[in-house]
Parts: sequence; structure tokens; C-alpha cells
Amino acid sequence: MRIGVMFPDVSGALMRHSATEKYPFQRQGVTARLRSLLKWNPEACTGCGLCAMDCPAEAIQVNVLDRKAKRFVFAYQVDRCAFCGQCVESCRQGALEMANDRWELAALNKEPFMLYFGDPDDIKTVLAAEPAGEAGIPADK
Amino acid sequence: MNTKQEPQRFVIPIGPQHPALKEPGNFQFTVDGEIVTKAIVRLGYAHRGIEKAAEERTWIQDLYLIERVCGICSHIHALAYCLAVEQLAHVEAPPRAQAIRVLVAELERIHSHFLWMGVSGHEAGFDTFFMYSWRDRERVMNILEKLTGNRVNYSANVLGGVKFDLDQEQIASIRGGIDFLEERTRHYLDVVATDFMFLQRTRGIGVMSRAQAEIMGAVGPTARASNVARDVRKDAPYAAYKEYPVDIILDERGDLEARFEVRLKELFESFHLIRKILDTLPGGELTARMPRKVPAGEAVMRVEAPRGELLYFIRSNGSDKPERLKIRTPTICNLTSVVKLAIGHQLADVPMILAGIDPCFSCNDRSVQIRTSNDPDGRMLSWDELRQHGIDFYKRLEK
Repeated sequence: MRIGVMFPDVSGALMRHSATEKYPFQRQGVTARLRSLLKWNPEACTGCGLCAMDCPAEAIQVNVLDRKAKRFVFAYQVDRCAFCGQCVESCRQGALEMANDRWELAALNKEPFMLYFGDPDDIKTVLAAEPAGEAGIPADK
Repeated sequence: MNTKQEPQRFVIPIGPQHPALKEPGNFQFTVDGEIVTKAIVRLGYAHRGIEKAAEERTWIQDLYLIERVCGICSHIHALAYCLAVEQLAHVEAPPRAQAIRVLVAELERIHSHFLWMGVSGHEAGFDTFFMYSWRDRERVMNILEKLTGNRVNYSANVLGGVKFDLDQEQIASIRGGIDFLEERTRHYLDVVATDFMFLQRTRGIGVMSRAQAEIMGAVGPTARASNVARDVRKDAPYAAYKEYPVDIILDERGDLEARFEVRLKELFESFHLIRKILDTLPGGELTARMPRKVPAGEAVMRVEAPRGELLYFIRSNGSDKPERLKIRTPTICNLTSVVKLAIGHQLADVPMILAGIDPCFSCNDRSVQIRTSNDPDGRMLSWDELRQHGIDFYKRLEK
């Protein structure tokens, strides 16, 4: 039995700098595989809706206006999203991507958390059909 | 702390807020001076209804719900669920996926044991141990983040395989991290085995004999510290544990010191296993094709979570949703030992005995125990009685 077995740890740590990151003045960056905001590629999407069906948080809604003309409105509720990446796995066309670049999502109101992707006119049509109070701001406006 | 004096006995309630650990659970210790003479545990404060919620979701959606049963051992829950569903659907994940699953499970075990080690040190009043072990735990958290994208809730599994592959850069970073952690684990093993002050809190405290461990159904490192050779990885190898066998670490002493040493020595097994997986990672696909509807049937899956045996029971009726899902976590098996072992010890030793089983209350809260004021020990209710109890309860509220 000994006394003060961890003393070398403590004395060694005296010379070390604090590990706390001075965010937001200092950004260490994120890991390459971090799953951040979902990206939708309208060219590849076929409107099958598997992403919406498999989403555990029910954060995705695919509104199909005209399947042949590829008129889709992809509604994405960011504050519901658990960033699990199942939609990306489920998409057979590779139309969805969760890159690591948009992860600073904090906002003072709820508007940035409801994203609509698609043709602006189509988004208006979809929003008009939705019940009042649910509408947010289109992503590309 | 509220205290209640009764003739001939003094009951000290601990919890439900923060009973040694930052999770809700209520303990009532009857003391004679400083010595505990009786202990009662009451659970159910963190009941989240996950099993019922799982019945409302599809097989794929459930995977992410299941992953959130436990924040510390999220991967092993998802793995048990995936293996059970794959068993029902007669799908087998490819060898490379199984090896990556085991790799993440072992990294998670390292993270969980380091976390437990720090918390137990904190319970013993050894905060230096707590802080430095948690500082080193960051290394394994960083590896997991680099590998999966997340520090917790890794989402590594999909039904039929895993989501991501390993590249050379990641393999190198895992190797570097494992070398560092192995050296630190050796140091911490030295600390728990030789530090005079710490041994005062662990040596000979909460001794559980082998016979007691078997009767009380202890699982995992808690049982192995009492010389019960019980490890699902060895007894019923799942995923890639057939190709990558582990040795069971046993100790005869059964006290808290033995539990510390067993858990820390298990880490060396994990390091060894991880290196072996990285050396001989099989090639091939990452996922197998999985049907959306799972054939009717029942499956039971046992896996070795960091805390012990974790059991999943799943019943399918052939639809795209499970009909019934039952989870039994290791904490519920080990909790009986806390109630038994606390008797005869000083009240000050109780937090250490509790921390010694590495409890996780939120994981194990699957049921609610109904108690009445004139029956403090609790009682069993049949389904009809429970229904009647509910009706009476709300009738009383209306009045």
C-alpha cells in the first residue's frame, strides 16, 4: 500500500494548458463524419418517400406535386431531426447527404428550423395547402 | 435529508433525487447507529414507456429509439436489437459489418468502464481519480466520434449491417488511442490496487460470495468479481465474437476492490481484441439486404453490455412493426445485490456499494412498482388488481 499514488498526475498537469475551447473565438473544427444539416439533391430524387417513411423523428415530408415532371417539395424540420442518417441510408438514388459543414444551428426563433426545398412556386402551393401556424420560411428565399 | 424516527428503528431515505448517482432511484436504509440493518429499493422514476413506443414504430424507426434506451451503452442496445431482428428475418450481416460492430462495442466498453471508474472514485471522495480518468476517457470518445460522427448515440448499426467503413487513417488513430489508453489503464490499475486511502474504501467492502452471486443472479463484471464465470461473449458468442474470442477475467475476492480490478483487467482484453480486429478485418460488403416486413415469430437475443448481460425479446406478427419488445438490462439483475450487501455495512459505504455494480436506473425502468402506505415493502399486483387500483386511484382524485 502506498500513499499519494496519483501525485505525479497532479504535478504533471500543472504545466498543461486548459483544455477548454474558447468558442466562438476559437473553432477546432468538427470530425469528417459528423452528420449535420441534411442536403437534398432534386435532380436525383424520385419522390419515393422512403426517407420520410424511415425517419425515426418524422422530420421529413416529401410532397409530390407531379412525379413525371419531378415537381417535389422536400420539407425538412431541423429541430425534429436526430441526425441519425437513416434517410441517407434508405435513399436508393443517393439524393440525400449529411455533410459535416452546417452544424452551428442555434437560432433565436423557430423559423430557420423549418426548411422547404424545391421550386418556389411549388413551395407556395404546398404552404397554401398546409394548416395555418405550421408554415415556415422557404430555404431558398 | 428527511429523517423519520420509528420505535426501535431509524429509516434514512436516500433519493429519488441524486442517490449517489445522477439518476433517480429511491433507497430506504434502516440503520442501527451507523450500521445498515435493512435496505429497500424503489425504482420507476425514469419510466419512459420505450417498450410501448417501440410497438408504434416501424422496425427501422425502432432502431434509433432503442439506441436511446441508454446514453452510455447505446451501441450494444442497438446491436442486440439488430441481431434479434436479423435472426427473425433470417438475414445475416456480412463478416466485415460484424467485426466493425464488435469493434464499436469494445470501444464503448472502454468508454463505459472509464466513466464508471471516475464516478466510483468520486463516490469514494477521490476526485483526483475521477477527473484524470475522465480526461483520459476523452481519448476514446474522440476515437468514437472520428469513427461514427457522434460521441454518444453513434448510429453505427443499420438493420443488416453497419453504416460506415474503416479507412487507414482511422485505423492508425484507433491504434494510437488504444496504446495511450492501455498505458493509462495500467496506471489506474496500479492506483486502485495500491493507493492506501482508496483501499480503505474498497477492500473488504460489499463482499459477495460466489454462492450469493449465483443466487441473486448477478451478471457482468459484478458477478465475475465473485468468481462466477459468466460472460455472454464467451457463453453464447454473437456478432463476430466467435472469430474474436475473449478471455473471462475472474476474481475470487468479491469485494469492491475485486470489481475495480476485474473491470480494469477487462479493458486489457478489449484493447487486445480491438488490435486483433484491426489486424484481421475481413473484407466484403457492409450491409445485407433486409426485408421491410419481418416474418412472424419470436426471438431472444443476449449480449454482453459493459454492465453485464442484456436481454432482448422481440415478437413479430409479420408486419412492419414489432408486436412486442421486451428489454432486460443488467442493472435490474445486479440491484438485488446492493440491497443485500448493504446490510451490515456503515451507511457511508452504501454509495460505494451502489456505484460498485455500475447502475443505470434510466435503462432499467421498465415497470412501475405500486406501493401503499400501510405496506412499505411493496406487493405484487395481478393485472386485474392493477386495473382496479388505477380506477380507484382516479376515483379518489375526482373526489
